[in-house]
Amino acid sequence: MIRLLNIEFKKVIYNKTFWVLLGLYGIILGGILIGVQTFINELMVDVGKDAPIPVSKISLYEFPGIWQNFTFLAGNFKIILAMIVIIIITNEYSYKTIRQNIVTGMSRMDFLMSKLLMTFVISLAATIFIFILGFILGVINTPEVTFLMIFEKTVFIFAYLLELFAFLSFALLLGLLSKRSGFAIGLFFLYYYVIERFINYKLPDDWGDFLPLRAIANLIDTPNTALMKLFGYNFREVVAPQDVIVVLSFTALFIYLMFLILKKRDL
Amino acid sequence: MSEVVLSIDKLSKRYGRIKALDELSLDIEKGNIFGILGPNGSGKTTTLGIVLDAINATSGSFKWFGETPTKNHRKKIGAILESPVFYPYMSATKNLEIIAEIKSASYDQIPEVLKTVDLFERRNSKFRTYSLGMKQRLAIAAALLGKPEVLILDEPTNGLDPKGISEIRDIIKKIASVGLTLVLASHLLDEVQKVCTHVAILEKGKKLFSGRINEILKETLYVEVGSPDMKALHASLSIFNKVQIVEADDNVIAVKLDEKMDSSELNKYLLEKGISISHISIKKKSLENYFLELLAESHDKTS
Repeated sequence: MIRLLNIEFKKVIYNKTFWVLLGLYGIILGGILIGVQTFINELMVDVGKDAPIPVSKISLYEFPGIWQNFTFLAGNFKIILAMIVIIIITNEYSYKTIRQNIVTGMSRMDFLMSKLLMTFVISLAATIFIFILGFILGVINTPEVTFLMIFEKTVFIFAYLLELFAFLSFALLLGLLSKRSGFAIGLFFLYYYVIERFINYKLPDDWGDFLPLRAIANLIDTPNTALMKLFGYNFREVVAPQDVIVVLSFTALFIYLMFLILKKRDL
Repeated sequence: MSEVVLSIDKLSKRYGRIKALDELSLDIEKGNIFGILGPNGSGKTTTLGIVLDAINATSGSFKWFGETPTKNHRKKIGAILESPVFYPYMSATKNLEIIAEIKSASYDQIPEVLKTVDLFERRNSKFRTYSLGMKQRLAIAAALLGKPEVLILDEPTNGLDPKGISEIRDIIKKIASVGLTLVLASHLLDEVQKVCTHVAILEKGKKLFSGRINEILKETLYVEVGSPDMKALHASLSIFNKVQIVEADDNVIAVKLDEKMDSSELNKYLLEKGISISHISIKKKSLENYFLELLAESHDKTS
């Protein structure tokens, strides 16, 4: 396992596209998470001027709410990570190095395992990034920090890790299927923004929750901020076991499909 | 009996309705320099792709070192399949480090193999900056990593200029002299003739011949003779039972000699008959002639 991961690291360490996209992800997401508080408060002040009831300032950065706020917001940017994963797998096809890897002495399962490990490491790194950022901003902005407060809702951090890994496994599957990066990314966007939404629209109520990307998005619901309460919304503040089961099943299915493709396909 | 390194048993591969490989059986023994010959599309790369697990066979089986093949066998095999393949954004050394990781080989061998193919000076250049000849040489270096017992080279001189071809050929000869088992697929006959000890000839996925190259070349030894009096020469040769006329034209007659005959004996016989000889030379029939004969024969059968 360590050896496979080592090989993967060697492949990406000199790959500029990988680092550019990863840097972009870090900067965009970091910037937004650090700036979002100021932005929303500006907005609240504007809303507050004409509001019939007084609108209080809210803090997104207070424990334990910060975990849901951050993981929910960060979820919107996972598409950049999906592009990284697609490039990692399609490069092997466009350079034909997958063939060379196998001929040299990797088994096809080793190859799949190395890509899954890399996908997991990317998911884990992105999760740790959110955790560290959340921890720092939380400690700074929470008036009275207690140990319990910090860890009370860290379930969202684990849900976020699952969300990323499932989402990126789907990206890996599309990359493996189409072999070409442009095509895979196009297919991904098409499915994500058009096809699945259309299917969801056509399906009876609640059935849409069993669609893969929708189920993944459902893991972490919109946080209940004061703003949301103002509009009368009430979202879930927990991670629903049903969503976890659906997402885990889809992830297992994606991995199994990749296994079949790699086993059957000539390289 | 010597050790069989690769044993192929009735291997077939279909691409839709096309049979790329049709029940091919083949044994390659330790120490062989084994040439796989055939026109483009005859199934050479398909065969090598299957035994290296890059391609799934439709039916049939193969064994490496007498065992059911696993990835660990491939670690003992150095192989190039078709064009050289590496990560273009990485240097030669870094690319070889990945290969070494996969083969569980030591990095210490990297400078050594780079020197063998004369790329040591360019080891830190990115792969995409290499010329085709250098790429091909790097592929050979990669194949040599991990001290393989078997080396498989598929069309190693494809697309190279004459200088590149002779460089690769020198490297192959150098490697062959170490006593490795070498499998060389090529459509270039004289390349195979120059380096191989054994050969298999394929056409449309079928085996037309396999055996020692010496055998082919020995049985096809023939002598060309010419004389001012061609009619008399022809008459004398046709009554002589130790030779057989293969080909005759206005200037020379080609004859196949009996096994115990040699050209001086033929010379003596003709002199005794009072025929003066203006030309006599021994011709080894080249692999090319044999190959073309085989192809023609197989076409006759099928048509």
